[in-house]
Amino acid sequence: MTNLIRAELQKLFTTRLWWAMALVMFAFTAFGLAFLIAQAGVAPANGQPGLPALDDPAWLPLALSFASGANIFTMILGIVLMTSEYRYQTITGTFLTTPKRGRVIAAKLGAGVIVGVFFAVISLLFTAVVAITAVLIGGGSIDLTAGRVPQLTLGVFATLVLYALFGIGLGALVRNQVAALIGGIVWAYVIESILGAFPALQTVGKWLPGGAAQALMNIDFDTGLGESNLLPAWGGALVLVAYALLFALVANLTTTRRDIT
Amino acid sequence: MTAIEIRNLSKSFGAVRAVDDVSFTVEAGTVTGYLGPNGAGKTTTLRSLLGLVTPDSGEALVNGRRYASLDHPLNEVGAVLEATSFHPGRTARDHLRIMTTAAGLPASRPDEALDQVGLADAARKRVGGFSLGMRQRLALAGALLGQPKIFILDEPANGLDPAGIQWLRGFLRHLAHDTGAAVLVSSHVLAEVEQTVDNVVIIAKGRLVRQGTLAELTGNGGGAVRVKTKDDFAPALRAAGAEVEEVEPGLLRVKGLDAEEIGRLALDQRVLLTEVTHERSDLQSVFLELTAEGERA
Repeated sequence: MTNLIRAELQKLFTTRLWWAMALVMFAFTAFGLAFLIAQAGVAPANGQPGLPALDDPAWLPLALSFASGANIFTMILGIVLMTSEYRYQTITGTFLTTPKRGRVIAAKLGAGVIVGVFFAVISLLFTAVVAITAVLIGGGSIDLTAGRVPQLTLGVFATLVLYALFGIGLGALVRNQVAALIGGIVWAYVIESILGAFPALQTVGKWLPGGAAQALMNIDFDTGLGESNLLPAWGGALVLVAYALLFALVANLTTTRRDIT
Repeated sequence: MTAIEIRNLSKSFGAVRAVDDVSFTVEAGTVTGYLGPNGAGKTTTLRSLLGLVTPDSGEALVNGRRYASLDHPLNEVGAVLEATSFHPGRTARDHLRIMTTAAGLPASRPDEALDQVGLADAARKRVGGFSLGMRQRLALAGALLGQPKIFILDEPANGLDPAGIQWLRGFLRHLAHDTGAAVLVSSHVLAEVEQTVDNVVIIAKGRLVRQGTLAELTGNGGGAVRVKTKDDFAPALRAAGAEVEEVEPGLLRVKGLDAEEIGRLALDQRVLLTEVTHERSDLQSVFLELTAEGERA
């Protein structure tokens, strides 16, 4: 199995997509952080600041939670890990080398976990470096063990890993690369955003992967739309595990019996 | 043990019966040509053999086992399927490295295999820039990675230039006759395999039309005998029930009697024959004849 996971990682790292994804991820995170830094503690003319100030201990966890925004990239890599096999018909060679197809799927999911962890590490490092620098410049102090920082870090890892697995499951189900990518992005950016943003819709949204990840990280970020309706952190974790198993099952069922012609 | 065994294999896609009750075997040390027009069911048969397609009924076995049950398939079977199945952004060497890793083979194999098929110079180039012929060589390098004793090749000559086809012929013969491998090679163009194969299996419209050794098949092509004689032999032949055509003065083409019968008749008639030869219709005409038969059926 180790060999198969290594082979799956080689598939990803011998094409150029992964570092393009990493670059876009850095740009994306930098953009979010720039907004967060610019708006920190800035109050509208007659009201409370929308975001905590840089020297407020609440700002750093908020900034770190932005590292989970990289989930979209691990999802894309997961989708590509599966669909590029069909797009370029390399699935034929893959199944000739490993005819026990369940093992191929297991290896892809294993590789998805590693990709998720890898991107979580680089995303967190990048975010942490930028955010800590900003806090120090803003006159705040850093305590990485305080507040929700450890939980947030765990949440970022869980989210990025889960979305990689989600991408693999989605790719196995849809197989058409473009359709899977569009479907995945619409799902993560449109459907989950809407169902997760409005407290009234969060009765549904909290059960989705995005809502569950939010619960795990317990990002209680007042959007001005009312109090969030999220699962408890442990509930979020359980829902995420259930999704991971579901995606694995979907990937397996849609792949093991199909004729490759 | 029989290297490749296909037993009563059938497979339908929707209403189309792609393979219909096909059976044949391939023994070690021989090259078998699997011939038929496009759409005859060759690819479906080979993909069933390789566990990519699940047959509706019957069995397709390598070394007596289903491909999907093999623990180290690359060490037992080398397969070359369609030439398009590479990621264009990956180098030739990386393509083989991935297979090597997944199969747990020594890390030296990709370079050795590339060398064997004459692609060593292009090892670090992206496959996207490869010609069809180079892709076929790369696919063959993939089949060689695990040094197997069974080779299954689907239209491997597609896209090769004449020199490439020449090379492939020699290579397949070498695999079978020098290393003792069993080679099953499909083609819809007879000329490509005619000089390579020991045995022939012909399929048309999903049904097996004919199988045998190359000699058996070519020896069976119409049964005409060419007879050279300066004497007036035609009337006697016709009297004996033969169909006679005078190709040119002194050369007769006789159907309905074999060489021995003609010789005996000539002896009885005190006719001097200077040459008696069975007309060997070449495999191409046998192939066309047989596949047309299959299409009529």
